[in-house]
Amino acid sequence: MFPTNHKTIFVLDHTPYFGISSDYPIDFDVSKSRGPGYVPLPPICKSLWTCSVEAAVEYCRVVWDLFPEGKLVRFIVSDAAAHILNTWAVAQQNLTHILNGLCLVGPVRRGAGGDVVGLCAAIESLAEPSPTQSSRPPTESHFQNRGRIICITSARDDDSIRSLAEIAMNTLVQQNKKASAIQPPTTTDASTSTQSLVVHYCHLVIINVTPEKAETRVNNQPLTEMGGGLMGVEVIVCRASSLANLLGKLVLPHYRLAVTTVTGIPMKEEQNASSSANYDVDIIHSAEAHAGLRASQTAAEANESVVLRWWTPRGAEGGAGGCNGPLWRVTPADVASRPSACLVNFLLNGRSVTLEVPTRKAGCRSASHVLAAQGGELWIGALGGRTPYDDPPALSEGAGGRVTDYRIKEFGALMQQNKVHPLRGTGANARARTKLQRHTTYWPLTISSTLIFNLGSVMEPLTRLVVQESLTEDEVDSCRGVLLSLLGMESRHEFPTAQLPSNLRGKSSGRREEQWRQVWGELEALIRAHSASPAHRALLRTLLECRSHNHSAEGESSRATVIRATTDSPLSPVGAGNGNSNDVWAPRNALDALLGAPRPPRRPDFAGRMAAGSRPATLYSHLQQDVEAQN
Amino acid sequence: MPTVLLLDTSLSMSRPVPSSDSSENHTRLTIASAAINTFLDYLSVHAKLEYVSLVTFSSSYEVSIPFTREYDNIRAKLPLLEEGDKTCIEAALLGVNQLILNEWGYQTPVQIVLVTDGTFGAGPIRRNQIIQALPLPPTFPVRISILPIVTPNDHSLQQAMPLYQKIIDLASNQNCSMGNILRGAIYCPDQLNVPGAITAMSRLCEQQYQEFWCSLKCGQLEARVQLFPAPQPASHEGLSATYTISHQLHVIGFLSQQDLGTPIALSKHLIIPQAQSNNSNNNRENFGSKTPTKEGSSTDGSTDEDNISDPSKVPNFCVLLHGALKVEGMAAVVQLGSDWWGTVSAWCEASRARRSCLLLSVLRPGASAAPWLGALDQLGPIDETATNPETFPVRSWRSYSGGGSGCAWARPHALLADVQKVLRHARKLPDKTQHLYKELNRLRRAAISLGFSELLTCVGSALERECAALGGSAPPECSLQLAHAAAALRDPRTALDIKHTLQPLAPEFTVASMSH
Repeated sequence: MFPTNHKTIFVLDHTPYFGISSDYPIDFDVSKSRGPGYVPLPPICKSLWTCSVEAAVEYCRVVWDLFPEGKLVRFIVSDAAAHILNTWAVAQQNLTHILNGLCLVGPVRRGAGGDVVGLCAAIESLAEPSPTQSSRPPTESHFQNRGRIICITSARDDDSIRSLAEIAMNTLVQQNKKASAIQPPTTTDASTSTQSLVVHYCHLVIINVTPEKAETRVNNQPLTEMGGGLMGVEVIVCRASSLANLLGKLVLPHYRLAVTTVTGIPMKEEQNASSSANYDVDIIHSAEAHAGLRASQTAAEANESVVLRWWTPRGAEGGAGGCNGPLWRVTPADVASRPSACLVNFLLNGRSVTLEVPTRKAGCRSASHVLAAQGGELWIGALGGRTPYDDPPALSEGAGGRVTDYRIKEFGALMQQNKVHPLRGTGANARARTKLQRHTTYWPLTISSTLIFNLGSVMEPLTRLVVQESLTEDEVDSCRGVLLSLLGMESRHEFPTAQLPSNLRGKSSGRREEQWRQVWGELEALIRAHSASPAHRALLRTLLECRSHNHSAEGESSRATVIRATTDSPLSPVGAGNGNSNDVWAPRNALDALLGAPRPPRRPDFAGRMAAGSRPATLYSHLQQDVEAQN
Repeated sequence: MPTVLLLDTSLSMSRPVPSSDSSENHTRLTIASAAINTFLDYLSVHAKLEYVSLVTFSSSYEVSIPFTREYDNIRAKLPLLEEGDKTCIEAALLGVNQLILNEWGYQTPVQIVLVTDGTFGAGPIRRNQIIQALPLPPTFPVRISILPIVTPNDHSLQQAMPLYQKIIDLASNQNCSMGNILRGAIYCPDQLNVPGAITAMSRLCEQQYQEFWCSLKCGQLEARVQLFPAPQPASHEGLSATYTISHQLHVIGFLSQQDLGTPIALSKHLIIPQAQSNNSNNNRENFGSKTPTKEGSSTDGSTDEDNISDPSKVPNFCVLLHGALKVEGMAAVVQLGSDWWGTVSAWCEASRARRSCLLLSVLRPGASAAPWLGALDQLGPIDETATNPETFPVRSWRSYSGGGSGCAWARPHALLADVQKVLRHARKLPDKTQHLYKELNRLRRAAISLGFSELLTCVGSALERECAALGGSAPPECSLQLAHAAAALRDPRTALDIKHTLQPLAPEFTVASMSH
C-alpha cells in the first residue's frame, strides 16, 4: 500500500555554484549566412540551475500526464533557506503552479546556503500525509508511508556526498522518533490534520551535476541500503547537458513505464507539402502495455524502447474497441518535436492507429497495439489473443429468446429518458436509480401482455405523466380527462382495441367486456404503483370511481382476480397475492398511512378462496362433485 | 477461464494399481482418465462455455487436443494416449506457456490442471534444479491446480510436495495487474482408486470453477443472469481493499455508445439470461405469463403450461434490454458494488454478425475508471439540473503540446524552434507585430521560470541585429518596434517580473490616420 512513487520530492540546489554555465553551447543561429556584414550570434549556454529545473519539470510532466491522480511530486528549492513550492494538495500538483513558484524563486543569487536545508525540509515533507493517506487510518496493517527524494546538487567529492546522505539519514531517524512520539495524542485528537507520519522507506537519489568540462571527484554509487532498510541511497554523476536525458530515463523505472517507438509515420514535409517522409515518435506509457511482447524479449531488450510500426488505418477499421484488456495513458517523450505534435493531433482528431510488430517476413503482419484518443487524452491498448467468451450462445436459444413481441421501442424511449449525464455533487447515482425505479414500476415486457400501452394516443398524457415524481393540478386534470374519455368509449360499446392497427388487434382477441376489464385493471395497477404522492392518489380515487361507476356487483369476483394478476408484478409486497387481494396497497410510508389517505372499503373475499384457506382455491369444484355423483 | 489439462503420460503412470477387486485392472493413467472425465462432466453442466485443451507430457510434451468446447473429443482421446518416458515438468510448463500465449495472449487468465503421479523422477538435488528451471511466473495470469494420482502417505509424494507447492506459489505470484485471481491448490486423493480420484477432482472443480450468478436489475425489472467467465475480485493499486462483484447489478442509467467510447475494462463477461425458476422467483413468473390477456382468454390455458416448461418462451428482461441497447446504440451503466462500476452493451463478434449478446465490461474499481465520463458516482439524470448541463466527453485539462507551459527546452531543438519563430516574425514586421510580441512574451515567461536570463539577452541582441539588417526600403515602424522589443527584453527594471508583459510600441499616427 502506497508505493514509493506515491510521493516524490525534488530538492533543487539554488546555491551560487548553480549559477555557473553548463559550458554546453547551444548555437541557435543556424540560418544560412545572409550576405556580408552579417555577424552570427554567439552561442549561449544554460546555467546549471536552468538545466536542473527544466529536467525536473520534464520529469513531472511525464508523471502528471500519465497519472493524473495518485502520483504526487513536490519541489523544494534550497539555498540559504528551503523554499517549498507546493504541498501534497491536488490543486498544487500541476506544472503551472510549479512554474509560477520557480518564477518567484528567480535565478541564482549571491549568498551562502546549501542543499542540506532543502534535504531536511524534504524529509519533513515526506512525513506529511498526502490527501489519500490522510483519508485512511495509519494504523492499518498495510499502511506504508514511502517516498522518493531526488536531490540535484553538486558536491566536491564522495565524502561530502556521504555526509549529505548521513545528514538525511539522521534527520529521517529524528523525524520518525518525533512522529511516533506524537502519535498517541493525535489518535485521541483526530481533528488535527497536520499529524506527521512515520516514514517507512525513503529512496534518496542524489544527482551530482557538473559543467561540461569540470572534473569531479564524485563517483556513481549503486543503490545501497542505510539504517536497516529505512533508506536507500543512490548517487548518479551527470553532466548538466545530459541531465534531462538522465531524468527522462530515471522516470521509467520509478513509475514502471516503458517507451514505444512508433516508426514509419508518414508525414508531409514542412517545406514541400507534396512529398512525405517517414518519422519516428517515442511515446511513454505503463510498462504493462508491453507485457505481451516481453515474452519474446530478453531482459536487456525490455529496458530499450520497443519499436512498433505504424499501420496506416483504412477507413473505420481498427479502433480501441478491438482491445479486450485495459488501456493505458500515453504521453510523447518529446512534446516539443514536430512529429510528436503531428501524431498527437492526428489522434486527438479522433483517428486511431494500429501498431504492428515489424517482421522481416513479407505479407505477414501482426497487429499488436492500438493508439487512440478519448476525452482529450491519449491511450494505448494491447491487441491480440482470443477472448474466452468468443462464440457466445445465441440469445434466441436462451431464456426468453423465442418471445418476439418485446416492447423494444418503448424500452428505447425509456432509456433515452434515463440517460445519465456528468453532474456535480453526491447522490447522482441514487437519483438515477430512483428515477429508473419509478419509470419501471408497472412495465410489462411484451406487447401481448399489455393493452393500455398499445392504445397509443388514447392513453397519451396519462402514461407519460404518471411516472413523474409528482403531478401538478393541471396534469391530474388531463389524466382525469383520459380516464373519462375511456369511460365514454366503454359506454358507447366501442372496442378499446379499435384504436390499434389491425395486426395488433387480432392478437388481443377476446370479448369487449374482457378487454375493458383488462384496460381498467392495468390502469389501476399502473396508477396504484405510483400512488406515492397525494396527486397520484387523487388520480387513483378518480380511477376507482370510474370503475365502480361502470361495473355492477356481478363482475366483482372476476375483476378481483384481474387486479391480482396485474398487481402481481415483482414489486408486489409480500402478501399482495395471498388471500386478501382486495386490500388496496400502495407504496407508501408509515406517515402516509397514519395521515389516513382514504381507502376504499374492504370487499368480501372470493368465496372459494375463503373456503380453501391457505391452499390454492379450486375452481368449479362442484363440476367434479357432479361427475363423481353421476358415477 | 480457459483450461489446460496437463496430463502426465510418463511410464510411471502406467504402473498398475493394486486392487482388492481383481476384475478391474487399473493403472494410474486410467484413474487419471476417470478423474478427467469427472472434470469434463462437471464443466458440461456448470461451465459449458469453457475452452479446454489436453496436453500430455513425459520428457516432451504434445498438444493432444487444442482448445475446444467439444469435450467429447477429449473424452475420446483419453483411452488412446500413448505412454512416454520420464516425467519432465519444467519442459511441459514451458510448452504450455507457448500454447497459451499463442492462443490467448497475455491478458486472459488461464487455469492449468496438472494431473501427475506424485513422482518427479529424481531426488532433492534435482528437485531444486527443477525449481530453478520452472518457467514461472508466466507473463499471463494463471492459476495452477495439481491432482497427484497417489496415495497420501506415499514416500515419493513427500519428495514431490515442495515442488508442487512451489509451482502453485510461483504461478500466483505474478506482477500482472489483472492477475488478482485466486490461488490454485493441491488436491490429493484420499486413496488410490477411481472413487478417490473422482472425489478429489470434484473438490477441485467446486473450488476452482465456481459459476457466478447474479441478478441484473433495472429499476423494478430484473433478470437472473450468469456472468461468463466468472468475474475475479479486483484490487486497486495503493489500496489494500479488494473488490468483489455484488450479486445484484443495478442499472444506473444509459448513455450512447459513442459517449461511452472504449472503457478501460479490466475484464469482459457475457451476460447469459437464465430461466426464472418456479419456486425462487414466483412473482416474475406471474408477471411474464399470467398477464391479463391470458387471463381473459380461456382457450390459452394450454400455452400457459408450455410457457412454463419452455423457458425460451417466457419473456426475459435481458432479451428486451439487449434488443433496445442494440436498436438505440446505447450502453447501460451498472453499479457492480460499492465504488465499482461497469457497462453493459450489446456486442457481436465481427465474424458472426447475427449472433449478438449482452456483454458486461468490468471497469477498474473507483469512480475515475473512465475519465471522459467524469466521476462515475456523479452520473445522474439530467432533468434536475436543467441549466447548462455538461456533456460527454468530460475533457481533461491536459495539453500535450508543451507550448502552454513553454518549458520543454530540455532538448536543444525545441529551444531552437522557439527562437527561430521569434526571428521569423521579426523579419515580417509590421504585419506580424502582434505575433512577435505574443511569442516574445511566451519566451520571456518560460525563460524567467527556468532562470534562463542568458536567453533573453541573446534574443535581444538578435533583434537588434535584425534591426540593423533592415534594408532602406523597410518602413520606419519596423526598426522602431525591433529596437523597442530588444530594449524591453533587457530592461533591468522588469527583467524578473513574470507579471510584466511586453507591449508593442504605441500605434503610430500614420497608421491611425490611415485607418480613418
